[in-house]
Amino acid sequence: MNHLPFENWLLNDMPMTSEQQRELDVHLRNCSYCSALVETGRLLNTTKMAVPAAGFTMRFQSRLATRKIEERRRKLLGALLFVLGGSALVMWITAPYVLSFLAAPSTWISVVVSWLIYLETTLVALLNAGFVIFTVIPKFMPPFVWMVLISAFAGVSLLWSVSIWRFVRAPQGV
Amino acid sequence: MNDENAWVTQAQQGSDEAFTQLVETYQKPVYNLCYRMLSEPEAAEDAAQETFLRAYQNLHRYDNSRSFGTWILSIAAHYCIDRLRKRKFSVFSLDVEDEDGMPFELPDPDSPNPETESGKREDRDRLHLLLKDLDATDRAAVIMRYWYDYSEVEIAQSLNLTVSAVKSRLHRSRRALAEMWQSEKSRAYPERRSRESLAF
Repeated sequence: MNHLPFENWLLNDMPMTSEQQRELDVHLRNCSYCSALVETGRLLNTTKMAVPAAGFTMRFQSRLATRKIEERRRKLLGALLFVLGGSALVMWITAPYVLSFLAAPSTWISVVVSWLIYLETTLVALLNAGFVIFTVIPKFMPPFVWMVLISAFAGVSLLWSVSIWRFVRAPQGV
Repeated sequence: MNDENAWVTQAQQGSDEAFTQLVETYQKPVYNLCYRMLSEPEAAEDAAQETFLRAYQNLHRYDNSRSFGTWILSIAAHYCIDRLRKRKFSVFSLDVEDEDGMPFELPDPDSPNPETESGKREDRDRLHLLLKDLDATDRAAVIMRYWYDYSEVEIAQSLNLTVSAVKSRLHRSRRALAEMWQSEKSRAYPERRSRESLAF
């Protein structure tokens, strides 16, 4: 049996003219599928709200209180484990150095001092090289290279800002 | 600013009393959605409670330009859909219904007589059972459409679907419900059906 257009009228809950209603009534006499469609539609439109047992809010408050306690306990346990684990890891990594430092402090002091001297000389050398590059290179660079560089920098900044905005935007529906 | 917006703002600032007002206001719609989705009063109660807890924990993520009702029903629908999907893989069936466990429904003030009301109640219970056979997302769409009068756009927003997907899900669900209803009827009244002319 051809259900069109009756099925469309029923599925879309379309308002019907009296002529359409008459046609539908005739069709329904012979079509159990469309009758079921009408009946289920009517039931869906008239079914009432189910309501929770009395005291829902009280039960929620007590569940919320329990959850808060659990949350606090979990956070405390997490912090404790983090501190203990971190301390153990630091002790495990530094134990050989600490022990050898305690055994022969003069060796360690000379190593640290030589490292500091190496760091300082490297930094000074890098700064000097950088200064030379920045004073010499701009003289050879045409203006369009500057424009390209500044545009690229602006583009990257924009991309970064948009990424941050998308990342922090509040999602819905949890 | 209306009461609801004020409660939401206060709750976002940490007021449990304001959030309690929101629970008081939305307990029925949230519970009804969970009950229609999960079909069991105990599971519905648990899901409704969990929905409010999730809303409480994620209140800072709520966009004030949107309706709080839509937001919380969206949380409830997603939670119930997840739960139904998990239940599919569960070994134990939770489908046992206890007549005494059925939740109280608001009485119909327009009911002409108790017999008619009882017949309607039976039909509604049968439809409620048929809803269980729909896909979880389809069921959520049907519930939002017919119990909450949500537009297709609102359903799409709540369930993260496109409007055309919502339309097709609603049509598919209505067809499925009608077919199940038809076969239920033919099982219940086989002699009447044999006298009827063929529909297809």
